[in-house]
Amino acid sequence: MRRISLQFCLRALGGTALVLSLGAGIWLYAQEASTPVFKSKVDLVVLSFTVTDNKGKYVNGLKPGDFKVYEDGIPEKLSTFSEGDRPAMQILEDGSMRPLLPTAPEAMRVAAKSSESNDAFVGTNVFILFDTSNFMYRGFVYAEDAIADFVRGLDKADSVAVYTFSRNLSRASTLTSDRSNAIVGLRKAVAGDDTALYNGLLLTLRDAAKVPGRKVVIVFSNGPDNASMVAPDDVRAVAEDEGIPIYVISTNDVNKDPISSSVFRRISQRTGGKAYWAKTWQKQVEAFESIREDLGNSYTVTYYPAPNPNEGFRRIDIQIVSDTGKHYRVRSRPGYRPRAF
Amino acid sequence: MRVRYPAALTFCAAAVLSAFADQTATLDHIQKLELAGDSAGAREAFQRALKTSPEDAELLGGYAALLERYRNPGAREEYRRAAVRWQATGQSQKAQAEARRAILLDLIDGDRDAARKDLAAYREYGGTGVTIPAPAAAAERPSEVVYIPGPMRSFARMAAISPDADPATVLPALARNVVTNGYQASRSNDELEETEYLKLVHRYVSQAWELDQLAGPDKVIKVPACESTQTNDLLRVLGYRMRGGCGSEVVLETVNASRAFLTTDSGFPLAELEQALRTDKPFSYDYHPTAVPVLYSAAYWVGAKEKNSFLDAFLGDPALCRFYLGMSKLDPETAAAMKQHTPALKLRSYASVLDFFGGNFEIRDGKAVIPGGERSAAMWGELVGVSPDKGADFFEKLLIRDDGWLASLYDALSRIQGPVQDYLTQPAHMKRFYEAVRGKITTPGPARPVFRSNADMMLLTTRLRLEPDGKPHIPGGLDVWKQVFIHNPHNRYDQKLSKAAPGWKDGDDVIEALFALCRKPVDNEPLKMFMALSDIDRNREKPLEPATVERLTSVWNTYSAQYTMFNDAPGVSDKTILAWLDAAENLDRIKDNLLRQDAIGEMQGLTGLWQIFCRQGSIPAANADQALASLVAPFATLKSNRELFDAGRSGLNLLATSAGAASGPMQDRMLNLIAGGAHLQPSDARSSLIEQEQRIFEAQKLLTPDLIFELADNLERVSKGEKLNAKLAARMAARVTDIQLPRNSMSGTEKNSMAFGFWVDKHIEEERKVNFRALIDKAGKDPEKLKDIRGLLAPSLRDTIVGYNYLHYAPPGAEILITNPLFVRGHDFIGMSGANHSWRNTELYGSGWPSNAGGRLVGSLAGLPYALAEAEQNFLVPTQTQALIWGDLVPQMLLTATAPRFWSVAPEQVHWVGMHMRNGESLLAEASVDEAARSKVFAAINRAASPYRASAVISDLKTGDVKQALDQLTPSELYSISISLAPTDDCPIAKEIDRYRKAAPSLVSDEAISRTWGTPKPTLANSYAPELLNLRTFPTLMGYSSRIMAESWESNQLYWADLADETGVRPEELNVLVPQWTEKVVERIFASHLEDWPALLKSLRSVGDDVRNSAGKPDSTERAGSEE
Repeated sequence: MRRISLQFCLRALGGTALVLSLGAGIWLYAQEASTPVFKSKVDLVVLSFTVTDNKGKYVNGLKPGDFKVYEDGIPEKLSTFSEGDRPAMQILEDGSMRPLLPTAPEAMRVAAKSSESNDAFVGTNVFILFDTSNFMYRGFVYAEDAIADFVRGLDKADSVAVYTFSRNLSRASTLTSDRSNAIVGLRKAVAGDDTALYNGLLLTLRDAAKVPGRKVVIVFSNGPDNASMVAPDDVRAVAEDEGIPIYVISTNDVNKDPISSSVFRRISQRTGGKAYWAKTWQKQVEAFESIREDLGNSYTVTYYPAPNPNEGFRRIDIQIVSDTGKHYRVRSRPGYRPRAF
Repeated sequence: MRVRYPAALTFCAAAVLSAFADQTATLDHIQKLELAGDSAGAREAFQRALKTSPEDAELLGGYAALLERYRNPGAREEYRRAAVRWQATGQSQKAQAEARRAILLDLIDGDRDAARKDLAAYREYGGTGVTIPAPAAAAERPSEVVYIPGPMRSFARMAAISPDADPATVLPALARNVVTNGYQASRSNDELEETEYLKLVHRYVSQAWELDQLAGPDKVIKVPACESTQTNDLLRVLGYRMRGGCGSEVVLETVNASRAFLTTDSGFPLAELEQALRTDKPFSYDYHPTAVPVLYSAAYWVGAKEKNSFLDAFLGDPALCRFYLGMSKLDPETAAAMKQHTPALKLRSYASVLDFFGGNFEIRDGKAVIPGGERSAAMWGELVGVSPDKGADFFEKLLIRDDGWLASLYDALSRIQGPVQDYLTQPAHMKRFYEAVRGKITTPGPARPVFRSNADMMLLTTRLRLEPDGKPHIPGGLDVWKQVFIHNPHNRYDQKLSKAAPGWKDGDDVIEALFALCRKPVDNEPLKMFMALSDIDRNREKPLEPATVERLTSVWNTYSAQYTMFNDAPGVSDKTILAWLDAAENLDRIKDNLLRQDAIGEMQGLTGLWQIFCRQGSIPAANADQALASLVAPFATLKSNRELFDAGRSGLNLLATSAGAASGPMQDRMLNLIAGGAHLQPSDARSSLIEQEQRIFEAQKLLTPDLIFELADNLERVSKGEKLNAKLAARMAARVTDIQLPRNSMSGTEKNSMAFGFWVDKHIEEERKVNFRALIDKAGKDPEKLKDIRGLLAPSLRDTIVGYNYLHYAPPGAEILITNPLFVRGHDFIGMSGANHSWRNTELYGSGWPSNAGGRLVGSLAGLPYALAEAEQNFLVPTQTQALIWGDLVPQMLLTATAPRFWSVAPEQVHWVGMHMRNGESLLAEASVDEAARSKVFAAINRAASPYRASAVISDLKTGDVKQALDQLTPSELYSISISLAPTDDCPIAKEIDRYRKAAPSLVSDEAISRTWGTPKPTLANSYAPELLNLRTFPTLMGYSSRIMAESWESNQLYWADLADETGVRPEELNVLVPQWTEKVVERIFASHLEDWPALLKSLRSVGDDVRNSAGKPDSTERAGSEE
């Protein structure tokens, strides 16, 4: 049985030191000359965010130099940068960028295993979580149609997985860049009974966390949860820590249960996602468009956190240096807790 | 006179003797290797020896036997080679023996052709008495079928049947689902109305017939092109339409939601149809109806007129389904006799009794097979009204006798064997007990509810304990039980029994009273008491004193859930048991709720750890009593937080010392002990367990005892004038303040329900707001007040101690423990106000409330392993859609994988199970080819399995289908068959078993094997200590007793032992692998109903196959000398 440990050696290879991050599965150019073997706890932070102006329009074309990222007020040095579905770029010492190296064999193996794609760092890995419980009984087929539409409309660079849940999770279609495979999986969904939304969401986040690159979880559910053992805020904390935005798409039926609607709003906002309500499942076009725009207009940066004694919640602050008038609004997760193990 | 041998002869003899000596030494060496668990080394040694002497028949035979013992497919070939060599040296008897083994292995592998060839060789060597039976003729198989429209997988999805189900089991499974899930009481009248499940099945069948029409005579749905009439016709039936014209943009969307739901829920290949329409390619879908066998004939069930619409009639008639289900449980011989004797209409009238209790009806040669045999025949005849000699008539009368009471007694007695069955079927006893359980008013009988209600009787008959003189064991003696019935709390027992109790003369009177209570629909408290106390006595050298039993029964309502503790360490004295009760009662008197819950939690946490350490042998049996007595002593007088803290600290020290971990940081000591013991060799398995423990400990943000103790010591010194160690206090505060209180935006229902959590929240809040600096300032220079401050560390210490229990029983994955940082702290030892949950079994509360802090455990720690497993089960991800995850079975399987540990398991104990499995297989194969061997093997099969399955297995053996026969037996049945036929013959496995028995008698005794490979049975045996009871699997039972059904499944551990033996897994690795394997088994179960044991068996074997494949399947071509 092979296990991948987060602690591993950083080794100088052939005069050019390479840093292998299994957590993110990325090969970066060396920043320093050959270094002796030492051990380091790898904790690459992936941070996705959108920038909008005071009219709510997405602001595009910003460069790494336009941002300052702080953790608990400590400035962080960015490692990679990408915008929308464009490939991630490595940020060099002088602030210039260059494409990442082709994925190394080991990283490829990890990526291939988890995403069935060799190009795991382009586009977004979209995890769809479809509620097939009793509460969705009447809208089941319409929701299924809506999800199929959403999958068809995703950017070509994106990969998609379709999971369903009622009392247990079911991986209807694992992460794939082939839309038709995802839709075949979706169409095999079976109606279930109890609703364990937060259990299902937690397991989806755990799967998503194993995949390198940018990822989001999109939940199609009307709630309310009646079977989960975990609390929504514990699940939200996992999403925050892993840097995975959660989007929730519901119909107005969810408003019959104010707790569910407020929880949906809270977990999506706190993770950098959004919650949407439409009158019916057939009228979700606007929500889909908005999510697609979010995915296409977001920035993703990665960094290795600077030394920070705080082992609890670390607050992330993104400042836009070029926005002197403070007209821009940044939407991202507020922070995370570093892993203890 | 001395005989002088020629020199050459002397030399030859010497050479032969030398060779013989060498060979003997080699074989001895190999045996030693194998005994030490080095099967690979033994194999290599054989290969080396055979390289030197490739033609040595003895070695070849030995090598073949070794390969056979580890299920290596190369064994057959080696046996053949050995046979050839023996024959070449003129030892034809030995050649026959080797060839015979090859035949048996051929049949075990299902290779009939090879068996025929080996049989020819066997006969060539002069062998006789072996015949390979002819395969079953087609005519012997059921010929009549009914047709279900469309593919099986679609119908199976809609009808909640496993698509992998054997076609012969489809109608019984459907019948069961219709009976249990198809109807519900109507709100408007007394009639039953269809459930949504059955409505959907009906609607699906209707839609499927429409599609069947579209499929035409070829039974293939064809759409030649996007623009075609067939497209429109098909989409109309499916409930979809095309959005956009034909072309690459076409999308299918719902137009008729109810039809579309059936389409998608039944798994119609909609995406493929859509793709075909987009690309304008033809679409075709095989829509042949599915033929499923029907018992006897369709006309038998629905009459000749309706036989063509069998499915509709079947779905529309729950009574018919019940009847079908009942008949499907009978073995063919019994069914044929009953069917011939009793009209269908009459049988149908008693279908509920037939369904629940008919499974053990057995007619052989026209006579009823009855529990108790000849001795009880007359009494059975008297009770039923017909002699058992008239088999069919006997069972007909049994069915209609008394609304099922006598049938339920018959069923319960059929499931047991040995002295208890002898006792219960003594004619006088039988009559008394039957009359007691039947009572005067027989309605409603035990077959009336949806699930059978005779759980108590099954429990009593299964677990009754007899003294060596054959009389029932009455814990504490007769007088105690008289008092129990006389004082009959709240008049809950039968008034007549209370009146009769003073006149009871012996144990039979008590048993009769217990039988009488088995018919009551209310909680059978005396029976539970009786069973629990009998179970405690079962393993004790000296039974409990009457005074102890009296005390234990008098406080049963409050403390009974804790009694399993006394079972896990049978050396506990009466004095210590009473001291424990004193301590518990003292804690219950504490008025301060916060202190009381912390004290109860801490005492339960400490005794829980004691239980774990006793069970795994870390605390030697001789010290168990003293350790428990010392552990509970401080709680007997405890009144303050300071005393509580001191009790916790001394308790941890005591446990660590008693378990052999006398020095080092307490956290390391405890984690080591929880991971198996203080002095185990380092290993990957151990490191992996400790790593998992640390991960959970961190996730729960618990404080290490070392930090707590260091701070306490500092506070002690503060009372003597030293300064507070601010760093230590800050470390603790940093850890605690990170804990968030649950959100409080709750609905009304949640607020009410969360009344459970009030004291939990207070507990966490108290921990968060501790400010040592302020407290020290407030205490001023009063040394007592300063000392009291350390009492504020007690809640944190309680969490740590309770947390250690959680760590030990953490189920595979442990998602909740990793994700919810409040799970341990949130353990609610008080529960709802007004109800005393503190000592009750652990229960799961609060799942599914979006704004609470997640589910939490309420009650004591007594049922912690089960509750944790129950909480975790919904995090398992089924590999099949719609897989039925069993509510009670899965937690029981998970706890079976985590509670028993394998640190002290010896390789001999692993191989012992493996050898018995091979021996069981071999015995069945022998019975198949040798009529002389059949009777004893068939008798053993009949003892191990129900008549229906035993009959199927025997039928397969009679037609030479050994592999098929073996596939139907569970590992526990196969093991039981081998054990019951104590190997005495000279087959290689029997010899090897005998050798192990002599070489390691204490390791392979029945008791040792039971403790090693048994399963914990907290409900059935009142203990978490593993035990093998060799039970027939129980049916679904009402109420709490559905856990009993789960606990009757004893096959997993035996299967893992066999698998470990075969794949060379070391025993300690099982501590990590068994939970992982079990998780996979659960995820792969695809069952059609609650008693679908074959589905579980299938999943078990599927995981086993994966393990074999990943371990590197033994190479069938690998053989000695192959390098040459």
